[in-house]
Amino acid sequence: MTVSVGHYNYEEKDRAFLEERIVEFEGQVKRRLEGSLTEDEFKPLRLMNGIYLQLHAYMFRVAIPYGILDSRQLHKLADISENFDRGYGHFTTRQNIQFNWIALEDAPTILRELASVDMHAIQTSGNCIRNVTSDEYAGAADDELMDPRVHAEILRQWSTLHPEFSFLPRKFKIAISGSPEDRVAARFHDIGILARPSEKGPLFRIFVGGGLGRIPVVGQEIFDSVPEMELLATLEAILRVYNAYGRRDSLYKSRIKILVQTIGIDAYRKEVEEELSQMDLGRYRLSAEKVAAIRARFASPDFVDVPDGDAVLQDHKATNPAFAQWVDTNTHKHRQEGYIIATVSLKAPGEIPGDVTAAQMHGLAALAERHSFGEIRITHLQNVVLGHVRKDELFTVWEGLKALGLATPNLGLVGDMVCCPGLDYCSLANARSLPIARKIGARFGDTALQAEIGALNINISGCINACGHHHAGNIGLLGVDKHGDEFFQILLGGKFGENARIGTILGPALAEDETVDAVARIIECYLSKRQDGETFLETLQRIGREPFKEVAYATA
Amino acid sequence: MKSSRPGPGEALLITANRLLDGRIVWRDHSGKWREDIRQATPFTFEEAESALETAEKQAQQEGVVGIYDVLVRTGSVPQPVTMREHVRAFGPTVNPDFAYVAASSLPVSSTAPQGTQS
Repeated sequence: MTVSVGHYNYEEKDRAFLEERIVEFEGQVKRRLEGSLTEDEFKPLRLMNGIYLQLHAYMFRVAIPYGILDSRQLHKLADISENFDRGYGHFTTRQNIQFNWIALEDAPTILRELASVDMHAIQTSGNCIRNVTSDEYAGAADDELMDPRVHAEILRQWSTLHPEFSFLPRKFKIAISGSPEDRVAARFHDIGILARPSEKGPLFRIFVGGGLGRIPVVGQEIFDSVPEMELLATLEAILRVYNAYGRRDSLYKSRIKILVQTIGIDAYRKEVEEELSQMDLGRYRLSAEKVAAIRARFASPDFVDVPDGDAVLQDHKATNPAFAQWVDTNTHKHRQEGYIIATVSLKAPGEIPGDVTAAQMHGLAALAERHSFGEIRITHLQNVVLGHVRKDELFTVWEGLKALGLATPNLGLVGDMVCCPGLDYCSLANARSLPIARKIGARFGDTALQAEIGALNINISGCINACGHHHAGNIGLLGVDKHGDEFFQILLGGKFGENARIGTILGPALAEDETVDAVARIIECYLSKRQDGETFLETLQRIGREPFKEVAYATA
Repeated sequence: MKSSRPGPGEALLITANRLLDGRIVWRDHSGKWREDIRQATPFTFEEAESALETAEKQAQQEGVVGIYDVLVRTGSVPQPVTMREHVRAFGPTVNPDFAYVAASSLPVSSTAPQGTQS
């Protein structure tokens, strides 16, 4: 058996399950092509297998549980993009990958290719519990309280084909982190979970009713300290209340956030507690033995002493300013002495955020094999993480990334935009989000300028469904359709994390080029008015929105 | 989706996605589905209604899904009036390699629609 570091290693029964699902879907595709299934009958079946009919072709969304891949899986995704797509993959804000040019008749073959490396597309669509996302630095970050991956895997197994939750009122998204710094946007999920250790075992702080989309809401805490043993029962009860009372008569009112807003968090908590009091809790008890059995399917990196790590790294930084700049922006402290976390930006100036070519996927997989225990993480900000790089090998990794066109030093800066596929690919979109992202990326492509501006998130969505999380961007852009033409609303003040906030609209929507100019003027305004060390949000809070509004619409 | 009534210099085209691979196709004068918008037959509002009804009945047999009509400005290259349909007709705007054949016939100044006048 190939043992992979970073994620749950499948057993034979897991593989048998995937094969059963593929055979079932193969039959469904055959019946659809023969005509014995209508499109209306077939649509929910293909969606359950991650297949959408988009603007130009079928789009295939593949699950990357808690965002972690091994190198053989990334090689396989690259092969699929070459053999069944057009040589690209697109990483999403839910840590999945999408292929935009898939043929329906190839879908069962692709699923079989995925299954050969223990991957699938189950529950990447439809009104069910979607891919459980997690912290991209899980199990590696120095600031982490608790590695959330084992519990993320438990949630994955619990939610996969859960008989009660396969036809929820609407899609349902869960994220889990074990860090004091919320790197999963927990408060913008249907359920967000923050795990922490205690003397009596892990405790889980649970938020419900968060989400973006048409009605953005910051999730509210429903329980502060759920013990590990009661985690599944608690989630089960939260879902049952939603399943029972969530609106099924209106698409726009069907998410859990609407139910929580309608009845209030206290009433929702009371309903959950009542449900728990009636449940056979023994059936849902997450025992230490069960957790240990899942944990045993995870392999850990075999760290070694790296006595000269810091010295070698400092030498390379001293002699290569470009490398030094990349280290300063794109790395994070590792919990293991001698190692470092490297984040690979998929936001080179003028390129499509989140896109990778097949060659880049093969290259990243090879770098991970050589320098990060064969493990690759996908972030909800559409970047890639090599989680365990020896400090004395970081320069070699950077050179490898440079050769792949992936050494952009802009993590967390203006160029590190989050962006949905927009109207170029998505049938729901109102406007193209990718061209404006490219223009902004090119406008602020200069790395020195980005460094001078400092941390600033720009999030772009092509429609109100908010796949680009525009409400959570310090600067958010929302594409809107005005009689067939594209315009963009500008939002200011959004934020992920502990004090998550929803950005608000600055003024009337602008045409694409006017929007790019307005964003540039907003950033110039910030640079001219900020005080020492002040972030964009801090300046915005201090001086208010009016100065930004004035410059944004100065020549519009 | 409600059809728009074409104004002067405008027409309706019938479009769909191919069932096998999802690719965009356009209905020609003989009722065949073509990949190139330049081969699509222009319809009046009333003709389009009838053509849509026929196409819907034959959808499974002809291997298409999601049939509807698109308002275009007529000419040697029909140009959809909305950006959404422009992207469908000529391909994604972010990768020249993925542009459809008809895009090569577009005048340089006409890479995006001007919007309807409503």
